[in-house]
Amino acid sequence: MSALAHVPAASGQSSAPPPPPRRGRHRLLPYLLLLPGAAWLFVFFALPLLQLAAASLYDPAGSLSTGYALTWAFGNYPDAVQAYWPQFARSFLYSAIALVLALLMGYPLAYAIAQKAGRWKNLLLVCVVAPMFTSFLVRTLAWKTILSDNGWVVGLLRDVHLLGPDGRLLATPIAVVLGITYNFLPFLVLPLYASLERLDPRLLEAASDLYASGWQAFRRITLPLSMPGLIAGTLLFFIPATGDYINAELLGTPNEYMIGNVIDSAFLVRLDYPQGAALSFLLMAAILAIVFGYLRKAGTEEVL
Amino acid sequence: MRSPHRSLTRRGLLSGTLGTAAMLAAGGALAGCGTKGAQQTEAGCKSDDLSGTEKKLAFSNWPQYMDVDEKDESKRPTLDEFVKKSGIQVTYTEDVNDNNEFFGKVQNQLAACQSTGRDVMVLTDWMAARMIRLGWIQKLDKAKLPNVEANLLTSLRNRSFDPDSQLAIPWQSGLAGLAYNAKVTKEIRTVDELLTRPDLKGKVTALSEMRDTMGLLLQSNGHDPANFTTAQFDDALNKLKKAVASKQIRKFTGNDYAPDLAKGDIAACIGWSGDVVQLGFEDEKIKFVVPESGVMLWSDNMLVPNKATHRANAEALIDYYYDPAVAAKLAAYVNYICPVQGAQAEMEKIDPDLASNPLIFPDEAMLSRSKVFMALDEKQEKEYETKFQQVIGA
Amino acid sequence: MGGKVRERETPAGDLRLVDLTKRFGIFTAVDDLSLTIPQGSFFALLGASGCGKTTTLRMIAGLEEPTSGQVLLGDRDIARLRPYKRPVNTVFQSYALFPHLDIAENVAFGLRRRGIRSVDDEVRRMLSLVQLDGYERRRPAQLSGGQQQRVALARALINHPQVLLLDEPLGALDLKLRRQMQIELKRIQTEVGITFVHVTHDQEEAMTMADTVAVMNAGRIEQLGAPADLYEYPATAFVANFLGQSNLLAGEAAGPGGDAVPVSAHGARFAVPRERARLDRGPVYLGVRPEKLHLVDSLDRVPAGHQSVAGVVSDASYVGVSTQYLVRTGWGSELSAFAANTGSEVRFPVGASVVAHWNPRNAFLLPREPGADADRTSPLLDEPPVGALS
Repeated sequence: MSALAHVPAASGQSSAPPPPPRRGRHRLLPYLLLLPGAAWLFVFFALPLLQLAAASLYDPAGSLSTGYALTWAFGNYPDAVQAYWPQFARSFLYSAIALVLALLMGYPLAYAIAQKAGRWKNLLLVCVVAPMFTSFLVRTLAWKTILSDNGWVVGLLRDVHLLGPDGRLLATPIAVVLGITYNFLPFLVLPLYASLERLDPRLLEAASDLYASGWQAFRRITLPLSMPGLIAGTLLFFIPATGDYINAELLGTPNEYMIGNVIDSAFLVRLDYPQGAALSFLLMAAILAIVFGYLRKAGTEEVL
Repeated sequence: MRSPHRSLTRRGLLSGTLGTAAMLAAGGALAGCGTKGAQQTEAGCKSDDLSGTEKKLAFSNWPQYMDVDEKDESKRPTLDEFVKKSGIQVTYTEDVNDNNEFFGKVQNQLAACQSTGRDVMVLTDWMAARMIRLGWIQKLDKAKLPNVEANLLTSLRNRSFDPDSQLAIPWQSGLAGLAYNAKVTKEIRTVDELLTRPDLKGKVTALSEMRDTMGLLLQSNGHDPANFTTAQFDDALNKLKKAVASKQIRKFTGNDYAPDLAKGDIAACIGWSGDVVQLGFEDEKIKFVVPESGVMLWSDNMLVPNKATHRANAEALIDYYYDPAVAAKLAAYVNYICPVQGAQAEMEKIDPDLASNPLIFPDEAMLSRSKVFMALDEKQEKEYETKFQQVIGA
Repeated sequence: MGGKVRERETPAGDLRLVDLTKRFGIFTAVDDLSLTIPQGSFFALLGASGCGKTTTLRMIAGLEEPTSGQVLLGDRDIARLRPYKRPVNTVFQSYALFPHLDIAENVAFGLRRRGIRSVDDEVRRMLSLVQLDGYERRRPAQLSGGQQQRVALARALINHPQVLLLDEPLGALDLKLRRQMQIELKRIQTEVGITFVHVTHDQEEAMTMADTVAVMNAGRIEQLGAPADLYEYPATAFVANFLGQSNLLAGEAAGPGGDAVPVSAHGARFAVPRERARLDRGPVYLGVRPEKLHLVDSLDRVPAGHQSVAGVVSDASYVGVSTQYLVRTGWGSELSAFAANTGSEVRFPVGASVVAHWNPRNAFLLPREPGADADRTSPLLDEPPVGALS
């Protein structure tokens, strides 16, 4: 008994004496090293962002020929929401549905590659990443062919009466959601794979030995341990998916347009810069709010 | 997973707020009092012409909009001929892919009266009208454009944004009308048919180019797209809105309707004659229709922007392409409507089939039914475009 | 504690393995194994890496499905039950503690999975049993190896399994801690009265703790018995050399004799008492443990009744508690002999002529493969590397 006297709590962390403080330029060095990166961020991130923030407060009555005055027109924001809230709602709805679909496909996929694929692991990973070697646009256009009214997918669905004889996939919300799911799936799968790959299968054996059924072992061990990858993956999926406009543009109709389409048209077609900027900021704010809410809920400050 | 939430500290909140405030303040300072107007005047933004000493020309055009040698695609016969004849070296760049995108590319320089590095650029009517309105385009010397004076199609003269034909000279023209795939549907003759016929439901597209789609709709209501009122526009827009709401119209497109039409995903659409001619070569079931109510005539125009330093060289090039023989060679390759009178006769020598194609050399009857969309002022442009974009969903 | 455990225990059950076989492809890991482990005993499966002992353990735990055979607990065949349906728990070699859960939740894991709500008291009692009071809220990564090992033990024991499986549980610990834990494990086993099945490659560990040791080799059990029996009277050459060291002289038995089996080896004649002989004719090994081999400087000094072999000291290592000699015999084999440092013994320098003698009662006779003609004298082996797979 006495042989197992308690080991003091912090015995492992023997504290070496702190290094003597450095003086002069040595202390500045880390900051100097930061400088190029900080300057880069300032010029190419902070400044444009400020410019955009300012543009969102321009007088909406301004025009290209007369110029825009910064009148702190905060009314641009409610106006933009009022005019385009359906597209906002649609963006979040579509990307949320796509996220669920992607999780249903991506989690088992990442798990299989990480834990079960054996020597096929690298090949399968390449398969996940391979579509990224072609451009986003080309991939989405390929979906137009796949989902074409006269294509085999629609033909098959009509044959089994999942679609009416005149039913179609292209130019429906289904096509847009499928497109988003497909295009951003690798962003979800890769981080998930990275964290599932580190999962020690012996932990699952231990759980199984300790009366956890397959589902319980997943719920109590696999899922929590893959949480960092899951959070990173859902964010990497959700953020660009919400701002996406290519899928709605190519696979949808005006009835499926998302907020990205509106911003695109505000800047390029309608030349309504204040509104475009206000919409951009609103989208950014909404996404940030969701992300922070999500991270608080998920409770892993480590990933921040 | 049960670790307590990190509480928001007062200090963190404070510094965050201060930081945000500082950023906003800096942004305000940076943006000054907004942006300056982009409007230029002839007197305020003078351009020098160095053509006398510099035998050079920078030419920006759309892709596949210039004839190339069948054997060697890097050779452009008509352009090479011009270089040889005039001794002017032409830098030819295919960097116009989209009017709006190109506008974004040159907007900052032109708004500040700076050089874009281009002497000639080819842009569509409405964009040309916008740039002319903003005072960004140099006036050409009509004395140096005898071929244009003599050969420009009558329907393309006296356009509202350039009544004297000295700012925007058509490069190629085209029609916006109806098209259908005869394999999938029976003939279609009117805009109303397109927007209401039940068998076409969900298999119709329209163009996202407001002037083409709205022009056809205005005409179908018996109004003149070259001269209409806001109420007439709203009428036409309501008609479109109904077709969108009833899901008759599947989507609004740029050029991308063409493959869908060929595949039959789309049965009928509002489309451009040039695309349909191309599709017709491969599949004669794809047909272009000029509706009774009228058709939209548009052009891509050669423009000389402010601060372009080779205006005289540009004029030489423009006039060269209005030589009917040259125009016919170009038209034989690009298959759009040739804006040059007399080219049809020259085409007879090259390819009689093409010479008799009304979508390259339209007959009088067709031209009489064609209209060019009215030039809009900035306020109208924004108002109409916004209304239209709301209907088409963005 | 003990009372509470017995209350919850399900009715009696020896653990019986019947004709248990496991093949991986063409490789037979466990070969028709049958044995009975009485309820409440501390049983050790001892063997070198790859001998099938861990596979056997995993089949009992349900982590590996037998190719054929039965695993009986009492009268119930559990061989095809999912691991989480078996009243069996395991302490894993790597501990496999859940890194995202604190110590209390790790320990409570099994109880919670079985839907038991109030686990705090039980967890505290278990942590106290393994002397980790107050560590409830730590994470596994904050604990030392020995502490993690004890958490793994508590996590398994809290479920009051009928059988506790221990897979090289002390392999990752340093020597001193390992000794402590050996004693500790034995204490806990006595206290809770659960059947412990302990897999190890460390013969000392097996002998210290287990009531019964089974030595496994190539998927089969070579010998099974109490530690002292195994050591004093091994059944095979493998056991004789795996469990401690032995000097094995290749010879021929020419029995049956009377009370002793006559053996001729290397031109000399020896005899082994009948009760120390596994066979009485044919090729045999004559075995003597090094500590039972005594050295004297001349034949005269060999005690009466002892048997002897002459040779020359070829190596002498002083290791404190004893001196370990290698003696080269006339026919070239080297015998090892340990002489305890009692303070009164004679030391022999390298090169000295000596006579090695032994009491026939300490010798044993083992079967020998007909082809194996050489003597087998085990070199002074270190223990196998710590953490080696088995």
